[in-house]
Amino acid sequence: MSRGFRYDAVVIGAGSAGLVAATRLAQAGASVAVLAKGVGCTHLAAGTVDVLGYAPELVSRPLEAVAALTHENPQHPYARIGQQRIGEALRWLQATLDAGPLAPYTYVGDADHNGLHPTALGALRPSALVPSTMAAGERTQLERVCIVGTPALRDFHPSLCAANLSRAGVQARAVSVELELERADMSTLGIARRLEEPRWRAEFCARLTPLLRSEERVGLPAMLGLREPHTVHADLEHRLGRRVFEIPSLPPSVAGMRLYESLRAALRAAGGRLMLGAEVVSHTREDGRLSAVQTGAAGHAASYSADAFVLASGGFASGAIELDSHWATHERVLGLALDGVPAPGEPRFLPDYQAAQPLASVGVAVDAQLRALGASNVYVAGASLPGAVPWREASGEGIAVASGFAVAQTITGGRERHG
Amino acid sequence: MVTLTTDVLVIGGGATGAGVAWDASLRGLDVVLVERHDLAQGTSGRFHGMIHSGGRYAVKDPLAARECIAENRILRRIAADCMEDTGGLFVTTPHDDPAFAERFAQGCAQTGVPCEEITPAQALREEPRLHPGISRAFRVPDANIDVWKTVWALAHGAQQHGARILTYHAVTAILRDGDQVLGARVHDQRGGEDLEIRARVTVNATGAWAGRIAELAGIEGVRVFPGRGIMIAMNHRLVNTVVNRCQMPTDGDIIVPIRTVSVIGTTDHHTDDPDDQTVEQREVDQMLDDGEKLVPGFRQARALRVWTGVRPLFEDAKAADTDTRDVTRAHALLDHEQRDAVNGFVTITGGKLTTFRLMAEQTVDAVCRQLGETRACTTASEPLPGSERREHYRLGERLARKEADLNGEQLICECEMVSRQRLEQVIARTGSTDLDDIRRQLRLGMGPCQGGFCIYRATGVLHARDGLGADQADASLMAFLQERWKGVWPVLHGDQLRQARLDEWIFHGVLDVEHLPR
Repeated sequence: MSRGFRYDAVVIGAGSAGLVAATRLAQAGASVAVLAKGVGCTHLAAGTVDVLGYAPELVSRPLEAVAALTHENPQHPYARIGQQRIGEALRWLQATLDAGPLAPYTYVGDADHNGLHPTALGALRPSALVPSTMAAGERTQLERVCIVGTPALRDFHPSLCAANLSRAGVQARAVSVELELERADMSTLGIARRLEEPRWRAEFCARLTPLLRSEERVGLPAMLGLREPHTVHADLEHRLGRRVFEIPSLPPSVAGMRLYESLRAALRAAGGRLMLGAEVVSHTREDGRLSAVQTGAAGHAASYSADAFVLASGGFASGAIELDSHWATHERVLGLALDGVPAPGEPRFLPDYQAAQPLASVGVAVDAQLRALGASNVYVAGASLPGAVPWREASGEGIAVASGFAVAQTITGGRERHG
Repeated sequence: MVTLTTDVLVIGGGATGAGVAWDASLRGLDVVLVERHDLAQGTSGRFHGMIHSGGRYAVKDPLAARECIAENRILRRIAADCMEDTGGLFVTTPHDDPAFAERFAQGCAQTGVPCEEITPAQALREEPRLHPGISRAFRVPDANIDVWKTVWALAHGAQQHGARILTYHAVTAILRDGDQVLGARVHDQRGGEDLEIRARVTVNATGAWAGRIAELAGIEGVRVFPGRGIMIAMNHRLVNTVVNRCQMPTDGDIIVPIRTVSVIGTTDHHTDDPDDQTVEQREVDQMLDDGEKLVPGFRQARALRVWTGVRPLFEDAKAADTDTRDVTRAHALLDHEQRDAVNGFVTITGGKLTTFRLMAEQTVDAVCRQLGETRACTTASEPLPGSERREHYRLGERLARKEADLNGEQLICECEMVSRQRLEQVIARTGSTDLDDIRRQLRLGMGPCQGGFCIYRATGVLHARDGLGADQADASLMAFLQERWKGVWPVLHGDQLRQARLDEWIFHGVLDVEHLPR
């Protein structure tokens, strides 16, 4: 026998789209459960919120560019979300971080402006919002910079990063700090935990200080603490006597994990539940509506019924959308219809690696309210949506946050519980 | 123009050309080898990695079967470190003619290919993923070989005996004076210069391209019939033994476990262009279907990558124009002194990787004949550099090395367990700045993630070398990503598509590789 649960809304997926939607629903007074196979995109992504970076030329004013983009491509998720709600969603996210457990660590910037921030390769990537620990790396503030790594960190190569920044006109150089570690391999996550120990942090600064020159900012991989990023960042700036900024690198993403923790805390504070390891394995549909989903969590099955469902399970990267070995595409969670699938005989992929790949913009077919076609109480958010090429246009987190925000608003009809 | 002078100029850096260079240098001849790309980047590097026992040819081509088993035994001695002794099985699946098994057993007996019948139950105990409906199973001494390691070992061995190996040097002209070939003019594709190489004998060991080189020498009628075939690497060792279907050789009837993957092959299509690397959708479908016949569930495994190899089949007037498999797999040695009354020129083409050493031996015999010298071949007993201990490669070798120094070694490529030290050694030794060339030396980026994590790391390590500009490092990274994509996209589906999307996320979403400064 499976156990039965009832909620006002059930959200499938614990990436940023799912967590934003669930938190907003809970804040509006709905009873909410998030069901997820595992953690989502946050642990892989850069941890920034990119609204629109390339269209395909570099975008400096994202909201303005969104207007042009959606005019040209009415199938783009932003066309259904609307410009105004993108701005609202980003402001809500900042307010949520401000009130969260990592405060005063927050996100800085706004949806009207992109800043250019260095990547681990030394490219300059456009973002609307960045963690406060990354803010000092914005291109217009960078004159002289020292990029710092350590040999144990295989996921960050300061000399390459600095050399590419130099090519882009920044006075950049690299140093490598020898640290006493018991392993030859460290991830940014491992070092982030170490840096939360005050003595270790002091030692790190003591080794780094003599390598620095005056008037240089310091760029480090995103590893300045997981639970106390503000403290770690402020202490480093104090000890080194200069501005310090983080640079995103290979997964696991420490900055993304902070975003996940912040959203999870906000969801809990609003009374929502989050269940990881709860993969949706079957569902019940009645009269064009979804009535319940069933999970196959270890040892026992459970059924969750709700008035509204949010599908935020991701696209091909999460496995929620699949291309099988007979070249057919499926939405694997609820069996919904897909949009943007190349017609038989049309290319799924192009031989040029740099090209935007046709299959990349496949997603669940939705109406103007982001409701799945054929399931009128299923709302779709994040990378499950069709019509975008998120990583090429640098819009992934923006779509996730704004669509999660938008579907929650639609479901609650704009109701909100205050205080 | 710089001029080099040598005894033997070898054109072609595949297994045959490198084998000729190794053989000739062991016989005390001075050798220069030129290759237009990197070593083993043509047909040699684009096959399934199998060393035949001869079983495949036991019924159809007894001469080839005899050559295979003899060379198989020799390679186990001289190239031990490059080979894994997987053994092989021939199995009769419900899709195969059951009567063939008897002919197979007889053919093996007649050609001297060791062959032991085991019960289907025993075969399934050893290889539980095999089709449960197999009715006969025969054990044969098939094996696999790391061809890049082998060709580099041949080249290093030759270098130790004084040979000069010039990669990225393309032949632009064959120098000829009357009836005498004098060598070749080559273009250094990296340095940009031309050089002239004067040789007493020039060896055309360019496989599927041999007709073109012969034409440059003004020799007519060397027609090599290119047969194009695809191979697909799956991300697991679906089997640990080379598995063959017990039937007349056809498409998609072999799965070869090699290193961390299994390779299924192959198809066979005529092409006019030896550089043709087409992969057709229907060929991919055919391989996946054929895989299911040997290993049910094959389609659910992750298809990592597909590539095309072009067999060099010397034209036989008796064969039909459409099916290149019926053209003999035996090699063709053309002594142009005898054939065309042109001195100083020998062509070796056709054949198969298993017999590359024999081909090299016969070629250098012909070279010595033309030089009027008697020099004995020693390659059947002289181990290649790295194989002196005569120990075969074992799956798990790299893991054992890592476990011996668990915390002291930094892994750059987790899929193939390539450490930072080994990467740095190869960069230092080869001086290469080409990540794709480095890949073939180390198998860097050849596992399930196809470079998603290790290639940023390797680019960083490469750049940290003195003197390499960020522009060069970036260009090498971009070239690697494009080269990988070429083999990935035609088979991309299922969980490997998830992986590819994650890789794209890393390179575009996090690193923004597309917008590096130009």
